[in-house]
Amino acid sequence: MTQTAAQRFLQDAAVKSADLMHRDVILFNLKSYDAAHFRGRARIKDWEAARQKCQEIKREAINHLDRYLLQFEEKVVARGGHVFWASTSEEACAYVKNLATRLNVRTVVKSKSMVTEEIHLSPALEKAGIKVWETDLGEFIVQLREEAPYHIVTPAMHLNRGQIAKLFREKLDPKIDSDDPAYLMAVARRVLREAFFAAEMGISGANFLVADAGVIAISTNEGNGRLCTSVPRIHVVVTGIEKVIPRLEDLAVLWPVLATSGTGQGITTYSTLIGGPRQPGEADGPEEFHVVLVDNGRSQLLADAEQREVLHCIRCGACLNTCPVYRHVGGHAYGTTYPGPIGSVLTPHLNGLNEFKHLSYASSLCGACTSVCPVKIDLHHHLLQNRRNATTTGTAPPGERRMFRAWSHAMLHPRIYALGGWLMRKSLRIVYGLGLAGSILDPMRKWNRYRAPVPLPSESFRARWRKDHAAD
Amino acid sequence: MPQTEKVQTEKLKTKKVQLEIVQTQKVQSDNPSRDRILQLIRAGLRTTVAEPAAMESGRVIFEPVVNPLERFQQECVANLMECALTPDSAASAQQLAKVLQSLPEGEVFVQDDPSLRRLVELAAAARATRWSNQGAPAEESQATVTLAEALIAQTGSILVSASCGGRGASVIAPCHIVYATTAQLVPDLASVLSRASNERILDRNSFACVISGSSRTADIEKILVQGAHGPRRLVVILQTT
Repeated sequence: MTQTAAQRFLQDAAVKSADLMHRDVILFNLKSYDAAHFRGRARIKDWEAARQKCQEIKREAINHLDRYLLQFEEKVVARGGHVFWASTSEEACAYVKNLATRLNVRTVVKSKSMVTEEIHLSPALEKAGIKVWETDLGEFIVQLREEAPYHIVTPAMHLNRGQIAKLFREKLDPKIDSDDPAYLMAVARRVLREAFFAAEMGISGANFLVADAGVIAISTNEGNGRLCTSVPRIHVVVTGIEKVIPRLEDLAVLWPVLATSGTGQGITTYSTLIGGPRQPGEADGPEEFHVVLVDNGRSQLLADAEQREVLHCIRCGACLNTCPVYRHVGGHAYGTTYPGPIGSVLTPHLNGLNEFKHLSYASSLCGACTSVCPVKIDLHHHLLQNRRNATTTGTAPPGERRMFRAWSHAMLHPRIYALGGWLMRKSLRIVYGLGLAGSILDPMRKWNRYRAPVPLPSESFRARWRKDHAAD
Repeated sequence: MPQTEKVQTEKLKTKKVQLEIVQTQKVQSDNPSRDRILQLIRAGLRTTVAEPAAMESGRVIFEPVVNPLERFQQECVANLMECALTPDSAASAQQLAKVLQSLPEGEVFVQDDPSLRRLVELAAAARATRWSNQGAPAEESQATVTLAEALIAQTGSILVSASCGGRGASVIAPCHIVYATTAQLVPDLASVLSRASNERILDRNSFACVISGSSRTADIEKILVQGAHGPRRLVVILQTT
């Protein structure tokens, strides 16, 4: 029998939360992130004002999405670039694949882009016989491991240096004899330099699409994004329609806030703006520039009055880093392109509520995600709304529906309710008395398997209430 | 307006409209999803969403920069950049010579600009030099020397555009040297971006980049490694004016 996404999630989450080495690595990494994030926020005079400003910028953009996208498109086309609008993943992949085939592309270098992960672009290109190199160090590592990114900002956060050295030894060069991060970076640089200068096409994402200037903005640190967009003769940008912002000046707050929330930096090393192919008189740059605007379900969210603001997300990863669930089950257990709180909110909209409603329950509703979100998305309330939507659209399994029908019947009939309580107390006393707590015979086994049983009261709450208030 | 001229203007207008229609149709036939997505967006936006009150005015997000030069130098240190303050072009040439001497033998790429031609003449006449009018820097270049559009005090950054020797000029070689003057200092990101807008820098260039240090990564155990895919060193020779 094939597992459902929900069953797989429960199983993988249980395995991961019991994996002590995994836990050490992720908690170590997140502790350094916490410290850097805290220091970064302290450098901004009024963090709350910054968040509000970012929220207002994104709201303005999303509420006039058609206008700003067209403004962006006009400028790009005027510089000789191409803009392609794709409704679905398949359409986006087909466009890039056909372009690559038409222009005799054999090698592609990619910088980090979650949208390309979402639409599964690399497998589509590889199927057409095109070699794809991920060039961000973290992405390169997970590509060598044939894994999905573990995190939307730091894709290899689940690995320590020893594991990475071993991987490089197996896949790149058996002579690798050190696990020093600088040495490992140098190895990757050497391998990828060849790829950069051999590739005909560079593919990047975009952090923002600036409407008034008609440029894409990319925030990176390693310089791989710069090389992908400078050296090959074709540059393709694959991005979501919601990435648009109205004005170039908006970046004065968005850049520092994205960097602070993403890594704790004041600004990323390279905050790049690109508006088209190489222009006459320029020393270098690609001859062709294509922007693929991916919808893939995003436009549906606009009509959702409660959840439209989910499109404000700037993919900084702060909600993942702070989430107690993410910190324990890790990025892969979610089984989705976007893990963590934003992924749990977004995935049901992109890939179907029925299959991914379980993610809304992978949350303690503690609200840590909402408190750190730099564009103030009310994440934990959106998880609650998804729970509600999952039940009201009638997709709950029959067993669950029967149980809740029985429960509401009992709640409305005091005698049945009292009988139920009495039966439960009696049977649990027998089970616990026999030392069977947590066993297959224990109706509370899900709780008692990993915890001491809660002591049983001798009488019901109603009986106690009557006794205590007898004098009234 | 004479009748004939009026008719001609009308004719021209009609022609322009027809041309626009043809162009739109072409876009539509190449890309049927364009209209579909725009329709979906417009339909979705008809749903009204309650908006919270806008931020009260007067809140200051970033501490204003009081002394741009001092702040720029501080931020350079934080960004692990090298910044050398020089009094005149002779001293700048000396500084450039010093940096180039610390690098291995090999070609240097220089933005084709009169001020840089003079500087390189003084500093490194003997070095093999490739100028930006000859195309992109070679992969094995030891250093690139360029100008900047502006320097940003708030973040310790330099703004370069395609006019500063192209795209590869700031990322291909292991060392990027920027020759700038203190007159190019702007206090913060907001002012540099509004200047870029007003001066239409992005209408004249297909590329611009705010660079805040040498290339780096912390993808392995969050340990900072300087010199990832781009330069290990970013040197600013800052001449006072």
